[in-house]
Amino acid sequence: MLAVGGGLGTAWYMIEAGSRLSTRSSGPWVTWSTAGRPDADPYTRAHIIRNALLPISSTLELSYQAKADSRGGRLNAGCEYAIVVEGLDGGGWWSLAAYDSKGGLIHNAAERYAFTSDSVMREPDGRAIITLARDARPGNWLPIGGSSRINLVLTVQDAAWAAAAQEGTAKPLPEIQRVACR
Amino acid sequence: MKVPGVPRWLGEVGWRTAVGALLFGGIIHIGATLAVPLAGSGTAFARLRDTLPVNRMVILPPPAPGKQPLPYLAPDALYAMCRYDVSVDSLMVTALMADAGWTLSMHTPQGDNFYVMPAQPQRRAEVLLTLVPGIDRLGEFVAAPRRPTSTDTQVPSPSWEGLVIVRAPLRGLAWRAETEAALRRAACTPVKRQ
Repeated sequence: MLAVGGGLGTAWYMIEAGSRLSTRSSGPWVTWSTAGRPDADPYTRAHIIRNALLPISSTLELSYQAKADSRGGRLNAGCEYAIVVEGLDGGGWWSLAAYDSKGGLIHNAAERYAFTSDSVMREPDGRAIITLARDARPGNWLPIGGSSRINLVLTVQDAAWAAAAQEGTAKPLPEIQRVACR
Repeated sequence: MKVPGVPRWLGEVGWRTAVGALLFGGIIHIGATLAVPLAGSGTAFARLRDTLPVNRMVILPPPAPGKQPLPYLAPDALYAMCRYDVSVDSLMVTALMADAGWTLSMHTPQGDNFYVMPAQPQRRAEVLLTLVPGIDRLGEFVAAPRRPTSTDTQVPSPSWEGLVIVRAPLRGLAWRAETEAALRRAACTPVKRQ
């Protein structure tokens, strides 16, 4: 029983959460290194299939998921977060979207679910500050109300970035700073 | 010798039993991991299969809460998808890659992305591709795929079926009509293999 439970449990963990064998991390952001590629490892392949994903090859585009802020606290709709995006615009395209814990979009009256490198408003120095909060905030406000736990997905489409990330030389990804909680 | 913190029953387990349990657990682990792709019922392809007609490009409604065709689909983009089947005919795929972030990607039913073309300034915006079965998919009784011409590129598909996806990021509501118009130029058309 212990052997069966251990085998199934570790398989489930490796498929859902991943490990250093199959994922790369940058702060709270985690990406599956070989997602979308025909030579993907069995854990990545199982993760993609189990979650009904259609990733673009990780040689061109990387999708990072964050379930926690930079201090390790679970992302929660009761809190407000600030994300300062800089250094991702080297000829590529990026997108930051908020989902509930099952990958569904979070209903909000503003019908705003994401910001991209095209739609985000920038500071004079080129940085983009995105605020995640339940109630309206000035600037780039991404509503996260209506869902207790949230997952953030940062997609970076840039072949040079993807190559650097695979080698572990890419710039650190933006921090997710918790501003306040109710 | 009694080891503190270890349950008594565990101390009575012989080393042969422990090694056997570890090996058995490893086999279960590997079997479970490899079995997930074989189950296949929850794949993105399986979920889209009933809503997408074969060999026809369909523009999906913009993702909205409760109306997402797939989890984690980028909400800030419009999608055109074509469920292809190249068991009889090849497939001609055309698309206009209008702006940064646009991608044309091809996926097997297991989600493998075997071809992707991002929009790039130095490339022609109009894309014309012919999707053909991969060499290992062509039996000896099946005619050879069309020969490529100077104007089209042949892409071998590792599976008979799959998905062609054109993703068009929205720059904002003001650009939506323009983006949609560009996306409507995406098409997939069956062509006879010669």
